[in-house]
Amino acid sequence: MQSDALRDVAARFGGALTETSKVSTISVPPEKVVDACVAVSKLPGLYHLSTITGLDEGEKIVLHYQFWEGVRFVDVKTEVGKSSPKLGSLCAVLPSATLYEAEIQDILGVDFEGNPYRGKKLLLSDDYPAEAPPPLRKEADPAEIRRLMKLE
Amino acid sequence: MSERTEASAGLTQYSPEGMMPFGPVHPSLKEPEYFKLILEGEKIVQVIPRIGYVHRGIERAAQDRTWVKDIYLFERICGICSFAHSLSFTQGVEALTKFEVPKRAKYIRVLVAELERIHSHLLWLGLVGHWAGFDTLFMWVWKDREHILDLSEAITGNRVHKSYSTFGGVRKDLPDGIADKIRPELKYIEKRATYYAELVRSEETMSVRTKGVGRVTQEKARELCPVGPLLRCTGISRDVRAEDPYAAYDDIVPDVQTRVEGDIASLLDLRIAEVIDSARMASEALDKLPGGAFKAPVTRTIPAGESDFHVEAPRGELFYFVKSSGRSVPDRVKIRTPTMANILTATEMLKGHTLADVPVVLTGMDPCFGCMDRVAVLDTNRSKEYSISGEDLRQLGIDYYRRGNR
Repeated sequence: MQSDALRDVAARFGGALTETSKVSTISVPPEKVVDACVAVSKLPGLYHLSTITGLDEGEKIVLHYQFWEGVRFVDVKTEVGKSSPKLGSLCAVLPSATLYEAEIQDILGVDFEGNPYRGKKLLLSDDYPAEAPPPLRKEADPAEIRRLMKLE
Repeated sequence: MSERTEASAGLTQYSPEGMMPFGPVHPSLKEPEYFKLILEGEKIVQVIPRIGYVHRGIERAAQDRTWVKDIYLFERICGICSFAHSLSFTQGVEALTKFEVPKRAKYIRVLVAELERIHSHLLWLGLVGHWAGFDTLFMWVWKDREHILDLSEAITGNRVHKSYSTFGGVRKDLPDGIADKIRPELKYIEKRATYYAELVRSEETMSVRTKGVGRVTQEKARELCPVGPLLRCTGISRDVRAEDPYAAYDDIVPDVQTRVEGDIASLLDLRIAEVIDSARMASEALDKLPGGAFKAPVTRTIPAGESDFHVEAPRGELFYFVKSSGRSVPDRVKIRTPTMANILTATEMLKGHTLADVPVVLTGMDPCFGCMDRVAVLDTNRSKEYSISGEDLRQLGIDYYRRGNR
């Protein structure tokens, strides 16, 4: 029922729509992700942003913005390069994204331009070493982080 | 950045230099919060949430453990709604596989999930009673909650960490004759809950401390996306069990409770009504319980794929994202617990109230945390920062209302 509207959104932001029995995924380029999420959230019943999931996939970081309506999820998916991952923030239009973005900033090192927690810590301790990679990245080595934090 | 965004994250009017890190606060949670309150006199004007003091890196740890070991790991995220975590994870993983979960297991899952909801809501009701200065309620309710914990132990083998839901069903069948033990207890809980509903409505201590306190509007709720009772008390009828049924909720349908006031009093009313409805649903699960197997055969590896799954935990929507690449360990599991979704709404609820209302309002969101013991206070009139303990804060609230500030 929502498929046509979602296909529209995908087309408008240069993305593609794929559907499984439970999840409709709209893949969009990183510079369009904020607009695509806003467009999705304006569709009937889709105002609820369940969360934002970040994944380290080797060379890139993949993000899923998961909206829920009825028996389905709508995932707006995008990917950014790992060297300097940068995205626009959703906070100005969808304040519910504030803490989810801040969490991803902490654990995967994605910079969300416009998030009030930008450059501040939400989950990590204040003395988390700046030279250590964000802890959920594949290259993060717990033993090395403990050494840098002088815990052993 | 818009003013509204900064305000909703609580970052305006206050520079981060004064941010004082304290905690750890509660060993049993992923997300104990610490709120920094900015006051003008006694009025709260700004609230800054900072979480993560006992963040244990469970999502990272899960990537090094096998699928089965992860069930036990995720259960330890929460010491109250542990079954909701294992239920969400196992069903999220089952969605990637061809495991045929037997019908009996689905009904048993509903039974245990509803018993857990009853004990979680009763725990909360007792705590609100305690923070409001009505300790008799606290003792009564927690005594009644023991009945449910005993049932939990009889069914699953443990009171808290049940380790009951597993891939393909549940770990063991219901013990013989347990239905005869459960039914009278559910009737007892229903009777007590009906009494408590009347009690909190008529008892002055409760109504003075909760009516019109911690109000959140429906518009704000749509904006900040809280989940569970916090959302439903503003009149929005959203419940994962009803909207996106899992386990046997397509057959055992919840009577979704909503209230319109959006204050702590409406949360009290709503949660007690949910206790009664949960008792009804647990009893229905027993009545409709089919025979047959309680667990399907499963494989050690999970086929490659991604799945989004959520359940209605006692505090609201609990979300799991699971990614497998066909190995014996998961690639990535992302968990969004209900309290994480509710924090921003809680900061809204506090604004405009006095320090005396903080314990009741923060407990009102059912945050599952013990950090009430450490609250930092910054008085903008006096430009100094001090902290007060949870017990002092509780006493402050009680004295404040005793002095006749109503």
